[in-house]
Amino acid sequence: MSYREKENLVNIFSSLVITAVYALIIYQKQMAGQINLEDDFQKWGIVFLIFAGVSIVARIIIYIIFSIINVIATREGKIPPVDERDKLIKLKATRNSHYTFSVGFFLAIIALSIGMPAYWLFILFVISGVVSELIDNGSQMYYYRKGV
Amino acid sequence: MARSNIQNNIRRFRFDANEMTQQQLADEVGTSRQTIVAIEKGNYSPSLELAFRIARVFSTSIDNIFSYKP
Repeated sequence: MSYREKENLVNIFSSLVITAVYALIIYQKQMAGQINLEDDFQKWGIVFLIFAGVSIVARIIIYIIFSIINVIATREGKIPPVDERDKLIKLKATRNSHYTFSVGFFLAIIALSIGMPAYWLFILFVISGVVSELIDNGSQMYYYRKGV
Repeated sequence: MARSNIQNNIRRFRFDANEMTQQQLADEVGTSRQTIVAIEKGNYSPSLELAFRIARVFSTSIDNIFSYKP
């Protein structure tokens, strides 16, 4: 498995773990009555902003750990340069990811239009964000494996 | 993913160039080894610029290395 494939695998893992842990924490707070996300949209904004910060810091930590383990396991300290093939693969993966998020966005709007509670808009945003990221990294792995 | 119509004989040129490794060629042209592997296997068609750089390493013209088979 190439360095880029491993990198994408780590991204998928960190995306799932970070989102799952954070969602669980928020869910427990909601159940305990510490926050009310059913009507308070300002809280949703705060939850999203904290999630963005937590996600960035956690990813940096996971990436550093991955790099250290990779160097120890492969004894290759040099990270391969990003070349035109990497950029093309990233571009196609980003396109797939954006299509996925667009579908999620429309599903959220449809959910609103059929009378579902407004907080479903945010929940569907989170789900489509995670799925689009999985599609991004999964597409990259596919293109690296099968060719582009 | 459909295989590219562009075929190449980089492998033969590498062999003729004192058995140059894929990593050495990658370093010469400024790409990763994986990209050279993908080009040799026909899984990736390089840009014109990269094709020129590869040809330059072997001191030959592009059409000696790459050919188009529709």
